[in-house]
Amino acid sequence: MFVLVVAGIIVASYLAAQTGTPNKSISNKSQMAVRIVAEGTTRGAVACARCHGFDGASDGSGAFPRLDGQSPQYLAEQLRHFASGARQNALMQPIAKGLNDDEIDAVAQYYASLHAVPFPSRPVPAQLRDRGKQVAEVGDLSVRVQACESCHGPNGEGEPISGVPYLGGQYSHYISVQIQMFRQGYRKSQQMFVPAHNLNEQDVLAVADYFEQASRPAVK
Amino acid sequence: MPQKLKEVDVAVIGVGFAGSILAKELAASGLKVVGLERGDSRHSVPDFQAPAIHDELKYSIRKGMMQDVTREAMTFRNHHREVALPMRQWEAFLPGTGLGGCGVHWNGQAWRYQEADFIYKTHIEKRYGKKILDPDLRIQDWGVTYQELEPYYDRFEHLLGVCGKAGNLNGKIVSGGNPLEAPRSREYPNPPMKEQYSGALFRKAALELGYHPFLQPSANTTRPYTNPEGLTLNPCVYCGFCERYGCEHFAKASPQTVILPVLMKNPNFELRTESQVLRINLDCTGKKATGVSYMDAQGREFEQPASLVLLTAFALNDVRMLLLSGIGKPYDPTTETGVVGRNYAYQTQSYVPTFLGEDVHLNSYMAGGASGTVIDDFSVDNFDHSSLGFIGGCYVLCGSTGARPVEFHPTPPGTPRWGRKWKAAVRRHYNHTAIFNLSGTSTSMRGNHLDLDPTYRDAWGLPLLRITFDFPDNDVRMSRFVTHKASEIARRMGAKIVVDSPRTGPFTTTSYQSTHNTGGAVIGADPSTSVVNRYCQSWDVPNVFVVGACNYPQNSSYNPTGTLGALIYWTADALKTRYLKRPGPLV
Repeated sequence: MFVLVVAGIIVASYLAAQTGTPNKSISNKSQMAVRIVAEGTTRGAVACARCHGFDGASDGSGAFPRLDGQSPQYLAEQLRHFASGARQNALMQPIAKGLNDDEIDAVAQYYASLHAVPFPSRPVPAQLRDRGKQVAEVGDLSVRVQACESCHGPNGEGEPISGVPYLGGQYSHYISVQIQMFRQGYRKSQQMFVPAHNLNEQDVLAVADYFEQASRPAVK
Repeated sequence: MPQKLKEVDVAVIGVGFAGSILAKELAASGLKVVGLERGDSRHSVPDFQAPAIHDELKYSIRKGMMQDVTREAMTFRNHHREVALPMRQWEAFLPGTGLGGCGVHWNGQAWRYQEADFIYKTHIEKRYGKKILDPDLRIQDWGVTYQELEPYYDRFEHLLGVCGKAGNLNGKIVSGGNPLEAPRSREYPNPPMKEQYSGALFRKAALELGYHPFLQPSANTTRPYTNPEGLTLNPCVYCGFCERYGCEHFAKASPQTVILPVLMKNPNFELRTESQVLRINLDCTGKKATGVSYMDAQGREFEQPASLVLLTAFALNDVRMLLLSGIGKPYDPTTETGVVGRNYAYQTQSYVPTFLGEDVHLNSYMAGGASGTVIDDFSVDNFDHSSLGFIGGCYVLCGSTGARPVEFHPTPPGTPRWGRKWKAAVRRHYNHTAIFNLSGTSTSMRGNHLDLDPTYRDAWGLPLLRITFDFPDNDVRMSRFVTHKASEIARRMGAKIVVDSPRTGPFTTTSYQSTHNTGGAVIGADPSTSVVNRYCQSWDVPNVFVVGACNYPQNSSYNPTGTLGALIYWTADALKTRYLKRPGPLV
């Protein structure tokens, strides 16, 4: 609560500093985004920064995904999927329902434009890292899974324009859980269906760890 | 001295779609089967994975998946009075090689033929009389009907997971599909692909002109699909790198994705790659095959004895193998005697580049190999030819299979072919150009044939295949008529520039058209005009079966693979239920 108040003050003074000058560098949409990130909406959207931080890096626990520099198309699409129920999540569904179309686009653009410094990552056993790299870069014929990077790009950098999310630098724990979500049908994706079903638990951990450590290029 | 190996039940020459499926069926029946593939082994992982597979220079320009012309080429001439010369580069058609064959790098356009195609001679002569046929044309009936093949079309389509919407279910026209298709017994296994923007614009114009547009049947899977063999395919991501490339996503139906894993698990089957089959060996009577001879990658020759030989090496190679092995009488166009090499045909392709305005953004790079909206109103004999003076027709397809940066540079006529003005034209037109693809019938003609070249030989010292082919004037007239009709649709779409580009002669090997080479080992009821009987069994050597597009007496408007699939399963059935019970001539 205290953190929120401080953040609110910081944001408010930032905005106040802007209103005095005819500086067009912050559009109305950005102002709206900053407000929602800091304060949420009156329609049930909790402030994004509460879990995802102002910089999008969250708290490093992996419970909440890193959002900074993520594809804006992907972020907006996922918010819409939360709102419609196509993507099941008890926490995010009421939040997404509390945002209208413009607000969804605005917060998506906000986080897409950020570039946070990655948290230091824990060491990963070499065998697991090699296995993760193998599946990520080449795939596994025995379980008919193509290389993750076929869609998610080199080092898992994603394909922003097509809405393919980056995995490089994303929290390992979050990636593992999401594959479970695909497997159990809480998230529906035609492209993720087979990989989510065919990878065993060990391989899921391996690719998740591999991607957390993969470097990704600076956000443009 | 060639090493003689232990006898097996079946030797399969060429492990593509036909070889894989037949091998699987026979190995599952308990037979010992050896599959001999001249090319390399290759699999979805690692060989087809991105980013390496998206190498346009390697695969599209340098034909990375195709036969190596420095070791085995083919010679070509338009007319038998000319001297044929070797093709040093593949352009017009691209014979594949390697495990999975062309099934790896095809687009996945999965069509059936029309009922009329299988009784083409009877049908055309009945509807129009013999007078409509130019004197040199040689159309024939297949000796097997569409209705007999229908269950086998169905089986092949379910193996591949073909994506489409039925238009004719057991004789009843249903909406959403192709009302002009031959009747099918059940719905496609998967829903159609997404429609591209260019296809949607084409659809609107085609409807306004009274045609019947539908989405092309596709073997690029549209949803996760588990086929009857228990193999799961993934949905296509419309990456635009389909033809000439392997699929990294297990989305394109290829032997690797739909059957090979099951075949490879069966201990009755043994795969030998980099095994160049030199000939099918015959006994002293010349009427029985004793097996095959092949050379491995080290240059060692082997004799593989087998009770049954299946020749499934791709149409052109099949005909060559028969000629090299002395199976069947070679065709002589001047005397019109003999059968092997007779009725060689192709696919009469034409295009209509259509430049829409700069405000129309097509994003054609988002494509599957079989994406596209198509009309069947001008295919084969779907329209009345009474006053037209030619037979045959084309389907008209609008969509893209990709807009890859090296290959796709559409520019209007009159644009300089290089330099600043060319670059500016490419920038102006790249994202605003749709290219209609017309795929047309290819009518067999007396002079078009295959035989062995008298001069040029391959790296193993064997004569190359010689192709003698030109477009019959009938097909040129047909192309002009249908291409003109397609251009009308383009104009109806509001195009700023429409380039009506019908196919004209002479046929040249220097520009890409299609790898739908058909005929030369034709199927039929009459041994004097066919090489195999209705079960794809050699008339001359009953323990040799030949299954490929070489069986087609003439080519229809459609891509041959779907029909080949039907023939494959039809032959598998004949082998299992008839031949193996009582080896010998089935007809």
